[in-house]
Amino acid sequence: MHIVVCMKQVPRDNSVKINPDLSINADGIEKIINLFDEYAIEEGIIWNEKHGGKLTVLSMGTDEWVEQMRRALAMGATDSLLLKDPAFATLDTIAAAKVVAAAIRKLGDVDLILTGRNSTDDESGAFAPALARVLGWPQLTYVGKVIDVNPGSKTITAERHLETVVETVTAPLPAVVSVIKDINNPRYPSLLKIKKVAKVEPPVWTAADLGVSGLTPTVTVTQRVPPPPRPSGETIDGPDAAAKVKKLVDKLLENQII
Amino acid sequence: MPGVLVYVEQVDGEIAAVTRELLGKGKELAAALGGPLSAVVVGSGVGAVAEKAAAYGADTVYTVDDPRLSPYTTDGHVAAAKVAVAAAQPALILAGASFQMRDFGAALAADLDAGLVVDAIDLKAEGGAVTAVRPSHGGNVINTYAFAAGRPVVALVRKQSFPEAQPGAAAGSVQALALDGAEIRTTVNSVAPKTGAVNLTDAAIIVTGGRGLGDKDNYYKLIPPLAEALGGAYGASRAIVDAGWVPYEHQVGQTGKTVSPRLYVACGVSGAIQHLAGMRTSRNIVAINKDPEAPIFRVATFGLVGDVNEVLPLLTQELKSRLSR
Repeated sequence: MHIVVCMKQVPRDNSVKINPDLSINADGIEKIINLFDEYAIEEGIIWNEKHGGKLTVLSMGTDEWVEQMRRALAMGATDSLLLKDPAFATLDTIAAAKVVAAAIRKLGDVDLILTGRNSTDDESGAFAPALARVLGWPQLTYVGKVIDVNPGSKTITAERHLETVVETVTAPLPAVVSVIKDINNPRYPSLLKIKKVAKVEPPVWTAADLGVSGLTPTVTVTQRVPPPPRPSGETIDGPDAAAKVKKLVDKLLENQII
Repeated sequence: MPGVLVYVEQVDGEIAAVTRELLGKGKELAAALGGPLSAVVVGSGVGAVAEKAAAYGADTVYTVDDPRLSPYTTDGHVAAAKVAVAAAQPALILAGASFQMRDFGAALAADLDAGLVVDAIDLKAEGGAVTAVRPSHGGNVINTYAFAAGRPVVALVRKQSFPEAQPGAAAGSVQALALDGAEIRTTVNSVAPKTGAVNLTDAAIIVTGGRGLGDKDNYYKLIPPLAEALGGAYGASRAIVDAGWVPYEHQVGQTGKTVSPRLYVACGVSGAIQHLAGMRTSRNIVAINKDPEAPIFRVATFGLVGDVNEVLPLLTQELKSRLSR
């Protein structure tokens, strides 16, 4: 079977700046695989090891992303594919899903798409559902456990871990699945494997290759600002811990916080 | 003129609090757009909930009542919502921002080729156009969005962003719509409550522990009792979740839960930027840490420098006696 993992590169932390043109400036912050996507890669490896076939790591990004794609290859992905075009730089989530859907259709033989529940920078969680709908495939989001992927019956059964309930759901393949953090323990790639893939250049597909054009964003950013600063706090002083604790409780009661 | 359509979330036969907020804000936005406020209740046997929604200010409440619509499936609820969208022709569709609503709302927006905003904290309608405000990058960036003209906008709204609507005397009408031609491809085999579920995102008070506690035993000896004394829930930093002290369910931060309680008590938590991302919008923050330079103090309403292992037992005792719990 052919499993595709959609992977995004993100800054390790969100101490980003805002450029004058309102784009996000993450210069100087280490770039990593979006944490939730790392779980998706591991889940892809687990089912690829079981059923064989291909495990493709797919990213829509720039040459900067190749290093993280190689990390996914070192973990155990068998193939990689980079969607790269200046036209992809400013797409909103639904337009991005349309580009990735075009690539999935072009690949032609994909049975399962895995991705993280959301990226840790944009944080919307809209990509997986949007991709599923554009492809016309069923979706299973917030999956905390894949119970079975059955190439024979062409089904997947998984647990969706929502805020207060766990749903066990079966979907026909092909399907789009987004995963949460505690689904597995992503492996560390060995140095040997890292060396082996160090020179791999992922195939690149452009907008022309995919036959996508005229992607107009439905959403535009008109303002981007840092959050308002929190009012400065108060230090609770006292001669010893007991005095500080008493003063803290006084403050909480006075201000009707408790 | 096109107005606003609210997707009604149900909790045990009642209208979810976030929906009451959306009905209140939706009324204001519909007036600004010059259109009606409508609502849609999707499920099986939803008549009573629809009557309640009508009392909260919706001019028209649509019901899509079908045994195939319970439990929730993406296919079923998106198809039902599209029936209501066809009837109401709204400029703006509002729903909450829970995991299930993100599953639903992003799918609906893709189907409608609509504008989409997830986790909106403010919405405006001026001159017939909708704008939305949402945080990203762990709350370090506040974005304002405008949307392409001539298409609806789907806005999934973070709870506690707006005041809840109050039930009024003038009830809107209820109109039943049929779910036709929907193909539901997924089968829900079971829906089980999470064992030991902690709905941190709903808690008014949260006590969180971090690495400063020293070990797992100290966490369980100190944090849950303090949470109990305050009548709150307990959370954990990523460091101690990854160390296996506490289940992931309790994790607050960039890769855990985003919370915004009335009171957040951070105990032995240094306040890495990834942690602040998950709690910086809390109304009041108490930080207890022995390192006076810990970044958590920069967001604290009240900062107490001290060893958590000494301070927390005293604090729990003090709260117990003064709150008589």
